[in-house]
Amino acid sequence: MNEQAIKDLLYKLADDQLILGHRNSEWTGFGPILEEDIAFSSMAQDKIGHSLAFYTLLQEFGEADPDTVAFTRNANQFHSSQLVELPNGEYDFSLIRHFLYDNAEFIRFEMLAQSSYEPIAKVATKLKGEVKYHVLHANTWIKNLGSSTEEAILRLQSSLNEALPYALGMFEKSKYEQELIDTGVYAGEEAVKAEWLKRIQAVIEKTELKLPDLESTAPKYGGRYGDHTEHLQPLLDEMAEVFKIDPTAEW
Amino acid sequence: MYGGGNVFEATKFDTLQNEDPAKLAEFEARIARGEKIEPTDWMPELYRKQLIRMIEQHAHSEIIGALPEGTWITRAPGFRRKMAQMAKVQDEVGHAQLLYSAAETLGKSREQMLTDLINGKSKYSNVFNYPAFTWADSNIISWLIDAGAIVNQLANAKGSYGPYCRALDRICAEEAFHLKYGHDAVVHMATGSPKQREMIQAALNRWWTPIMHFFGPPDKMSTHTEILMRWKVKMASNDDMRQQFLDMYVPKIWELGLTVPDPNLKKNPETGKWDYTEPDWEEFKRVINGDGPCNAERLAVRRTAEERGAWVRRALLHPKAKYVKPLA
Amino acid sequence: MLKSLDPRVTRLNLPEGALPPAEPKPVLDQFETYETFHQKKEGAAYTYVGPVHAPNEEVAFLFSKEQYSRRAACSGMWVARTSHIMVTPYVGDDENVYDVIRLEEPTERSEQPEPYEIFHLKKRGKAHTHAGRVVATSYQEALQEAKRQFGDKGPIVNVWVVKSKHVLQSAEEDKDMWLTVPEKKYREATAYKVMDKITKYKEEQKSTAP
Repeated sequence: MNEQAIKDLLYKLADDQLILGHRNSEWTGFGPILEEDIAFSSMAQDKIGHSLAFYTLLQEFGEADPDTVAFTRNANQFHSSQLVELPNGEYDFSLIRHFLYDNAEFIRFEMLAQSSYEPIAKVATKLKGEVKYHVLHANTWIKNLGSSTEEAILRLQSSLNEALPYALGMFEKSKYEQELIDTGVYAGEEAVKAEWLKRIQAVIEKTELKLPDLESTAPKYGGRYGDHTEHLQPLLDEMAEVFKIDPTAEW
Repeated sequence: MYGGGNVFEATKFDTLQNEDPAKLAEFEARIARGEKIEPTDWMPELYRKQLIRMIEQHAHSEIIGALPEGTWITRAPGFRRKMAQMAKVQDEVGHAQLLYSAAETLGKSREQMLTDLINGKSKYSNVFNYPAFTWADSNIISWLIDAGAIVNQLANAKGSYGPYCRALDRICAEEAFHLKYGHDAVVHMATGSPKQREMIQAALNRWWTPIMHFFGPPDKMSTHTEILMRWKVKMASNDDMRQQFLDMYVPKIWELGLTVPDPNLKKNPETGKWDYTEPDWEEFKRVINGDGPCNAERLAVRRTAEERGAWVRRALLHPKAKYVKPLA
Repeated sequence: MLKSLDPRVTRLNLPEGALPPAEPKPVLDQFETYETFHQKKEGAAYTYVGPVHAPNEEVAFLFSKEQYSRRAACSGMWVARTSHIMVTPYVGDDENVYDVIRLEEPTERSEQPEPYEIFHLKKRGKAHTHAGRVVATSYQEALQEAKRQFGDKGPIVNVWVVKSKHVLQSAEEDKDMWLTVPEKKYREATAYKVMDKITKYKEEQKSTAP
């Protein structure tokens, strides 16, 4: 089994969850409905918990401890997709991102639960119930708001148009893609994307939203190998602000 | 996170004279027997009014109380603290939800309460109008403000109104985590590097006055508070709660080698009570009436959340939906 | 723009200074309420935990899951719209409401008997718990049936009656949503133990004292 390939996979899974977890946590106290603040915070905690689980697996490959890995790297060392680092915007954008991201994430977890690499399979099996619920949350909201008032539909549509190129960027292939597929570690981005399209389309069809034409949408690739928007580095600085006062201290 | 204090306006006492004496006697007898009052029971208007006022202020204190510690959510150091800080602040929002619901059973809608909050018509605990300058400030809030709140909430959980008691039982169970988490964080700072120690001492110095304010001004017993105590609306006096807090937490502060910025603070061996310098009660009044360091920002944030979220509520509001207050 | 100590607030791009007066909004810019019941563990009776505001049943279920089952073990959840629940009067703690109420003639009957869920409050200030299910053609008949089946077990202060079809019940396959809740130790007081640190600190102070 190629260690580099598995590490590459773990980094992208962990970094995505870490960054989106932080973005989701920003809603605490600011949400459109009290109950929804609470929901975003739960999902934030779950996601950060998932990233911790994957960083812990990385540690077994000789990487530094999870705190060091998560809070001392710079943006160009991050493997997260650009989708997750974008600022929250208003609730419509956060919701659309959540919908696009978590539908893909759940498929990844379902596939990883079947992985030939047992430590990943174990983590994915244990945590996939949480992601399943994140999908339920996202889909319920999209179905409800996506067929409500003109105002809501317009907002969601414009956020969908804006987020889609970034969402397609989630499926940027790994340097080790074929190897991961051949060894049965991971079914690969093409497979995730195909299933993802089916699932999001099934939800969108129940609403008045339209999925923009995919042929003419250029995916925003680059995030998997350190190419990020201007939004990531300031967020990383913020996440590590206290930790960096004294990285050797116990906080 | 609510410390009580200064919540009861001087209502005209003679409103009681309009109440049916037989019903009033039955109501008082029920409370005297230790039975709880439930939403559909007959109750004097004064009872209803003061309870709404108290529970509403408590709820506002939770939702606004989420903001000072929220300041540090994205910056909490390391995984362990990050997840706990998120969960802790999330709980405060959850507590607001529980408390608004309890107040709703008395007949004021959550929407109306939130509107009154945004327009500055309702009060909330003054401590949340102070800034959390550093991570250490957030730790002091998590430990000592929550500790103060628990003193108050445990007392109120023995009050007479069923829905409020149910909410408080739930809240107190969750606060046990807050208190331990806050203490844990403070201990790590106080026994950590010199820089950490300096940060936590500075934060304690900044928060001491707000903590002393938290329980409200010294008691002046009036017939008014007497009746509220008989009805088990107000369960303990401000001074009693402050003393109880000092008793439980000053030794825990001192054992960490931290100092409290009040040279007069000591337990009086004769009275068994704590002597302390009265905090500046003029400042308390100023802050609670809107002129604190963060009042404007706190309300602006709350209002923005309401205004920017309005399209979501508008989109889903069922035209025929009829509001019914929650049952219990 | 307002620069706050809280970077999240800074990103809200609020104007600096006082805001203009709030626009008046239409009354009741809020949702209906739904009542939530949870099951602590397999086989335990469903117990009332509290209300949520939601636009419909399925969103109410999501909200209830967040508000009432994120902090403690849970194996199932029920949600019912408040207005669908019929409530009897409340009696005193040592009384039985079934002995006190006069069962009225039903104003509405269904053609076919249908199931109703019955909840009892045993003591004021506590929470309603599920007593069982009865089959009836009206709320009144359901209450009568409930009295016959479960009405003689000690003091019952208050009863809630709701048609089973009005209760959204979590399904068997929903259970994995709660699978990891008990593992989230960072939300529990027991995860924080600092006595060792305090003791060590005190000893160090003693040994360095002059």
